[in-house]
Amino acid sequence: MTTPVTGAGAPRSRSGTRARRKARWSFDNISFFLVFLGLPLALFLLLVIWPFIQAVFYSFTDWGGFSQEFEIIGFANYERLVNDATFKTALGNNIKLAIVVPFAVIVIAMIFATLVTVGGRGIGQTVGVKNSGFYRVVSFFPYVIPAVVAGVIFTKVFDPSNGLLNGLLPAGLRQNWLGQVSTALPASMFVIIWGAVGFYMLLFIAAIKAIPAETFEAARLDGAGRLRTMWSVTIPSIRENIQTAWIYLGIAALDAFVFMHILNNSGGPDNSTLVMPQYLFRLAFAQSQFGYASAVGVAMAVVTLVFAGLVFAINRLTGGSTRSN
Amino acid sequence: MSDSKSSFTRRNVLRGALFTAAAVPFGLASCATGGGGGDDDETTDGGDESSAPADASNPFGIEEGSNVETVIFNGGYGVDYVEFATAIFNEMWGGEATVEPTTEITAALQPRFVAGDPPDLIDNSGAQSMGFGAILEQIEDLTDVVDAPNLEGTTIRDTLIAPNVLDSGVYDGKLAAINYVLTVYGVWYSKSLFDANGWTAPTTWAEALELGAAAQEQGKFLFAWGKEAATYYQTLAIDSAIKQGGDEVRLALENLEEGCWSKDAVQAVFTAMKEIVDAGYVKPGGSGTFFTDAQAQWSLDQDALLYPSGSWIENEMKDNTADDFQMMGVPSFVVDDSSALPAAALHSEAGEPFIVPSDAANVAGGKEILRIMLSNEAATNFAKTKLAPTVIKDTVPADGFGSTALVSQVDMLGAAGSDTFTHKFVGLYGLNQAQLVVWNAFLDGSKSVEELTSDLQAITDEARNTQEVIPVS
Repeated sequence: MTTPVTGAGAPRSRSGTRARRKARWSFDNISFFLVFLGLPLALFLLLVIWPFIQAVFYSFTDWGGFSQEFEIIGFANYERLVNDATFKTALGNNIKLAIVVPFAVIVIAMIFATLVTVGGRGIGQTVGVKNSGFYRVVSFFPYVIPAVVAGVIFTKVFDPSNGLLNGLLPAGLRQNWLGQVSTALPASMFVIIWGAVGFYMLLFIAAIKAIPAETFEAARLDGAGRLRTMWSVTIPSIRENIQTAWIYLGIAALDAFVFMHILNNSGGPDNSTLVMPQYLFRLAFAQSQFGYASAVGVAMAVVTLVFAGLVFAINRLTGGSTRSN
Repeated sequence: MSDSKSSFTRRNVLRGALFTAAAVPFGLASCATGGGGGDDDETTDGGDESSAPADASNPFGIEEGSNVETVIFNGGYGVDYVEFATAIFNEMWGGEATVEPTTEITAALQPRFVAGDPPDLIDNSGAQSMGFGAILEQIEDLTDVVDAPNLEGTTIRDTLIAPNVLDSGVYDGKLAAINYVLTVYGVWYSKSLFDANGWTAPTTWAEALELGAAAQEQGKFLFAWGKEAATYYQTLAIDSAIKQGGDEVRLALENLEEGCWSKDAVQAVFTAMKEIVDAGYVKPGGSGTFFTDAQAQWSLDQDALLYPSGSWIENEMKDNTADDFQMMGVPSFVVDDSSALPAAALHSEAGEPFIVPSDAANVAGGKEILRIMLSNEAATNFAKTKLAPTVIKDTVPADGFGSTALVSQVDMLGAAGSDTFTHKFVGLYGLNQAQLVVWNAFLDGSKSVEELTSDLQAITDEARNTQEVIPVS
């Protein structure tokens, strides 16, 4: 009884496999793989991975950047890096940025997003505040302005003698915003945050719109206020988006080159706004130490990876799902 | 369930593919420095090809109809003065000499140097210029250009404004660059403002302090500074210290010696400057002010009386200078009468370093363009159109083409005679960015003379320990 059954089943499955194999190697499939997998992969390897490997390699050399001559000097660059006070200052500034900037941007963007989606009147349909469409457009404006332009604008705004900000403030509160240690980094952070809020607000609005309106209605029927709704309904529902935003912002803050380079070209008072990419740039292009600059670049990459790992870990520890979409 | 399974599989497949493919390039010996491995021989051949017989009208043996590629820094002086020379070249030799303007010299040329395919003539200038330490062995010694006759038939060496004027292009005994434009460093002021108030421009730091008090009475400041240009005050301090202490100070700084910033002359200048800062004679807020805005506070608002800078300042602030300003300069101050160099001694530096890479396709062509530029016709054209002197003498008439600052420069150069000097360690080792931080803090009043000294010494020491020091004597 069993033999004929398996006998009948076996050829069918074999022929089925053959048919599938045939389909796999058709011209359609091969060209599809080549164009959509092979080409991007090749470009990725050539333009991303290969330079990265090169940077790692050069970090072990004393290459000056202009000739083909260099010597492999082992870990000497990394030893120098560990003892380099300027690098530590730059790393510290990047860490401050990576803590403050994502937090501030996400909180502000979250508040704005909530206001223009579900923060409206407390009865009837769940809607945003009055004229929310207008606010949505306006708050996106800063993101449209290129970082370089924003930087230049704010150097003028922060000018201690003729700047807009000091002009608006009473005499007692006027500061040399970008020129003293206590205010240079916060002022620079403000510019970055100002530029980023609009985009992340839009991201959160899209996420909140995807939450079924019934959820909000149910929460409201149960007597939840606006803050409670935000904390217990909105945030848990868009947790994944917040995590993504946090990582993006963190990486942007670990870079921050454009803003910092425009706002305080030389690293700010007492190097208080110097960031790692600026230091790398200075080493490579002003001091012709490409080998050491590569080591700084590798260190930056490691810091970025550690940051991403930390965000994932924190999200998991606080009970978020690790499922990737 | 099945979803996550398939995603894992897909990811693993990708991961595997990635690792395999990432390993492949290890086998290929191509990387940023590998591209031009065999180019050395080819380019030597290229240089030999153009070895037509050399004579007075063709000192470098250039071939008729050969092309020249130049890359010129497009800064304050533009590139039209080089185009003036290439036009003459095209007429003389029938080839085509091209001028490619750029502001990012390093970014544009670093890969080409590595590949062994640099252009024939480069104006290695501007904030993004290539460090000479890095390219020194790959560029020509230009002594034969200086020893060649110019288009009028005189040897170029005999037409230089001073015998030592090209020293700023000498690195390790090699004339690696010909600096074309003469820049005079000093302290600049408005003659009309000084005349109206009966002030005279100071020549010592003590006189500067007195002038500061006079300025304060009128609600003005002695100095102003901007955050990107705080090291202009370092240049002033170094100039003063060299004038006070002589060559000993200059060589100590240039050779990145230990304790070079602690020399008596340097300390005397720092102390005098600190006195001026502490007295409140420096307009506050400079560390947060964009440098051209700060310069406008001097040239347009006239909030500050003096500004230390190179002679490019007149051209830079042309559109932001008060009417009838009458810009004039004085040489950097001395500390007292016992100075090693006279008060008229001048920091004058030839700038816009033109270099000819040894690996260039047409080395002779690059040198020929330089020869044309150093001839009277092109040099006069430069002085006339840019209101700045070149290293060639007798190109500026007595009226300075209508510029008080240009007349003032020529006067200062005449008064200094052979007492001119320059220093280049800041640019050579790329120290400016690090020093800016220190000087911003010092001018802000938040650093003492001791901190200023130790911070600057730390920067010098780091450069000495991490870069190859090119000796200066």
